[in-house]
Amino acid sequence: MSEKKDYNYNSPSKFTDEMKTIPPVRRLTELEKAQMTPLQAMTASFGLPRMIITGFLLLLLVTAPFVGVDLPTQITNIINRFSWNAVLVLAMVPMIHAGCGLNFGLPLAIICGLLGGTLSIQLGFTGAMSFVMAVLIATPFAVLLGGGYGLLLNRIKGGEMMIATYVGFSVMSFFCMMWLLLPYSSPTMVYGLSGNGLRPTISLDGFYNQTLARLLEIDFAKIAATLHIGLGPLERIKIPTGSLIAFALLAFLMWAFLHTKTGTAMTAVGSNAAFARAAGINVDRTRMLSVIMSTWLGAMGVLMYQQGFGFIQLYNAPNNLTMPTVAAILIGGASVNKASIPNVIIGTILYQGIVTMTPTVMNSAIHMDMSEVIRIIVSNGMILYALTRKTEGVK
Amino acid sequence: MKSKRRIVFSVLLVLILVGVAASMMVIGRGHTVYFDNKTLEDYQGQTYKAFEKVVVTVKGEQVAKLAKRDRGMSVWIGQNFKMILEVTREKGDESEIHEIDLKLPYNVDGIVVNLPALLAGLPEEAWFSEFVPAVTEEAPEEEVPGEGDEFGLGGDMGLEGELGLGDV
Amino acid sequence: MSKKTNLPAGKRALGLVRNNAVSIMFIVICAVFIPMAGFSPSYLLNEIVTRMGRNLFLVLCLLFPIMAGMGLNFAMTLGAMGAEIAVILVADWQIWGIPGMVLAMILSIPFSIFLGFICGTIQNMAKGREMITSYMINFFINGWYQMIVLYIMGSIIPIIHSSIMLPRGYGIRNTVSLLNMRQCLDDLLAIRVAGVKIPVVTFILVALFCLFIVWFRRTKLGQDMRAVGQDMEVAKAAGIDVDRTRIISVVMSTVFAGFGMVIYLQNIGNLPTYTGHAQIGMFCIAALLVGGASVERASIGNAFLGVILFHLMFIVAPGAGAFITGDSMVGEYFRVFLSYGVIAIALIMYEAKKRMVKSRTGRELAEAQTLSEKEAAQ
Repeated sequence: MSEKKDYNYNSPSKFTDEMKTIPPVRRLTELEKAQMTPLQAMTASFGLPRMIITGFLLLLLVTAPFVGVDLPTQITNIINRFSWNAVLVLAMVPMIHAGCGLNFGLPLAIICGLLGGTLSIQLGFTGAMSFVMAVLIATPFAVLLGGGYGLLLNRIKGGEMMIATYVGFSVMSFFCMMWLLLPYSSPTMVYGLSGNGLRPTISLDGFYNQTLARLLEIDFAKIAATLHIGLGPLERIKIPTGSLIAFALLAFLMWAFLHTKTGTAMTAVGSNAAFARAAGINVDRTRMLSVIMSTWLGAMGVLMYQQGFGFIQLYNAPNNLTMPTVAAILIGGASVNKASIPNVIIGTILYQGIVTMTPTVMNSAIHMDMSEVIRIIVSNGMILYALTRKTEGVK
Repeated sequence: MKSKRRIVFSVLLVLILVGVAASMMVIGRGHTVYFDNKTLEDYQGQTYKAFEKVVVTVKGEQVAKLAKRDRGMSVWIGQNFKMILEVTREKGDESEIHEIDLKLPYNVDGIVVNLPALLAGLPEEAWFSEFVPAVTEEAPEEEVPGEGDEFGLGGDMGLEGELGLGDV
Repeated sequence: MSKKTNLPAGKRALGLVRNNAVSIMFIVICAVFIPMAGFSPSYLLNEIVTRMGRNLFLVLCLLFPIMAGMGLNFAMTLGAMGAEIAVILVADWQIWGIPGMVLAMILSIPFSIFLGFICGTIQNMAKGREMITSYMINFFINGWYQMIVLYIMGSIIPIIHSSIMLPRGYGIRNTVSLLNMRQCLDDLLAIRVAGVKIPVVTFILVALFCLFIVWFRRTKLGQDMRAVGQDMEVAKAAGIDVDRTRIISVVMSTVFAGFGMVIYLQNIGNLPTYTGHAQIGMFCIAALLVGGASVERASIGNAFLGVILFHLMFIVAPGAGAFITGDSMVGEYFRVFLSYGVIAIALIMYEAKKRMVKSRTGRELAEAQTLSEKEAAQ
């Protein structure tokens, strides 16, 4: 029924009715809240699947020491992985805000990042400079490809997610050909024998490997050594401060943007396009902007990922990042048309926490590594859950 | 009324399917039959010597030509195994033809038949033995799968995982 | 229809081209690639016939959800997974040949019905987003499938033969040999025409399935399904149980996909346990779309044409890629690109069309309203 109603948004009088009857975002009324037990209220605001996942992670953290897993190392791993993936997850936010749904077209953004990274190396930059150049080179690609992508998504409102998936696949497989055909020549990147075509995995040693992570890194082992005190197991903790600061900066900018006039317009478009149009917002332009932002953040995200991980992965690899990223933001509490910065942070920690902890804990506890299967079920189950929930306002 | 007929109908359908499945399980059970042309020594004090030459024909197809101490093999679906043996007992002898029906036990995958004992009409325990495949101790090279799916993140969370077609 | 015939011939031809743009593009691609790849015609013919026998059944399964307006059923892989579990069990019980196939098909039915029911129910919860949901269900159930095959089989579900098990004692190997089932259906009564083996019985099965589809369209249930596909609201008003009809269409698709998968596997002759089903959905959907189907309309003819064109492209692309660039990998990627691209284009065309219709109705409504408002003012 609600779908039918949306058809009418060209007629102004129908709108005002809708504005009255359907508030842009439905929140629990005070009465409803008062009737709930604390637990119920928590479940309602937090969502049952999220509760289960959080509980599972807590359980893992609690059992870890008992089955002989080294907790500080694991925590360092979680922080590391968080710093690699957080920006990618952040890239989901603008598109969700503008009502374009979950960005299953992430491979497109990743391709921009890959172009930036490979071109920067090809042009002969090394060290930290190569990262700066990668960012600079990736930006125009992201704006250009993102713009085209946004144009496309504006023509197919309502079917974004499925099309984004296949546009992502198509672009990725197109670039699979390009990696072989483009005239790259840097000996660190091309196949040794034939001399043409990029390798599937390119090491970033000497380029931007750990550039940000090493910046202001807090290494407890070193602190202990300089202070001549033993910190015990804490010594195994390392914090990639630079990466975290970079993420914090981007997240802050995103937060600030969402509070500007354009940002609120974007939220309005996402929660109720009809409402937004009535308020005189140019829906198509706002959506386009969100897609470009998302693409650029995705490109930055993959560069962050590479600098943490130390390798550039080409060919079909971009695909491997899509589902984990989408799942992460959903686990963090976002829905198909609502997302916030806390969602990003919580989601990334929860998801990466499970990804890091499950294999080690399960292996030590029952000598049966079911982590891969659990990861598949949890992340896809989460996406399914988000898709089946009724979303408020315009779909 | 209609719904009742419907229930009866679907129950019948399920029963038929179960019936077909059960019959398939019986008639479709595959066995591998091995024929040994080997001397059976000292069975209750007697020795049954291997034949000079045996030609085994199953379903009109010659599956094995066995000299002394040879082993042949044939596959068979179902439990009523039929074969035709063309036996030359000693060098220079005329070959004789035997048609043989065997009842294969349902639970055994591989059956070894000792032909000299079988043709001498000895009881089953003399000519029948179960084929136990040699356990080839393989190195556990097989990667535990699950990775390399659409977005599986290989061993190290996709860090060095499957790159699909990437490895030329 | 009457409107169409009134159009001038030139415009009609243009419309025809536009409606079949993808098929025409593929015909052109194949025409260019075939000479480049340099395969002999008899080889190509043989391959095409084999692949038709292997894939047609699977592609035809997609017709049911399209009939019910649920779009392309990316979750047809569920049927394939059900069939794979059945095939593993049958291989373990050593049931060979045709009886083995029949048994595998029967065994796959309960799995398929169960999975199809889940899938249909979830899709009903996500109306308007059926396709992306079915796409995700596919991954979600794949997780459970791996759980069953990798951990439960051999430890809880008894597996007799260690030859199909992983060395660690539970879980199934990456490949299960189906040597004793290999091409048993294709070889049955197969005839050779000019060096091309025609798997007669397989084609008879496909033909029977086609007849079933044609018949099914005319039954009460088939009519209901089409009504639901046209307009859910109208169908509901007409007293059709919309949700139930949609679930049935998905269940049917899944069950037949299971049968199709058994046929597919007997042709291949071994079962890639963890990757066998992964690409099936994508390739079948791409094939159907290449044949000129769209998200809301598909016919048996589309399936046939699609399988021929798509697989012809698939066979010749690596050779042609090697011919053009000197690197056969480029051809490999090119065919993957085309498969994805076809699906993307079909989806875009479908959504764009839907939007056009939507905005037109919106405009008409608005016009009608302003008109009535004017009248009221007068």
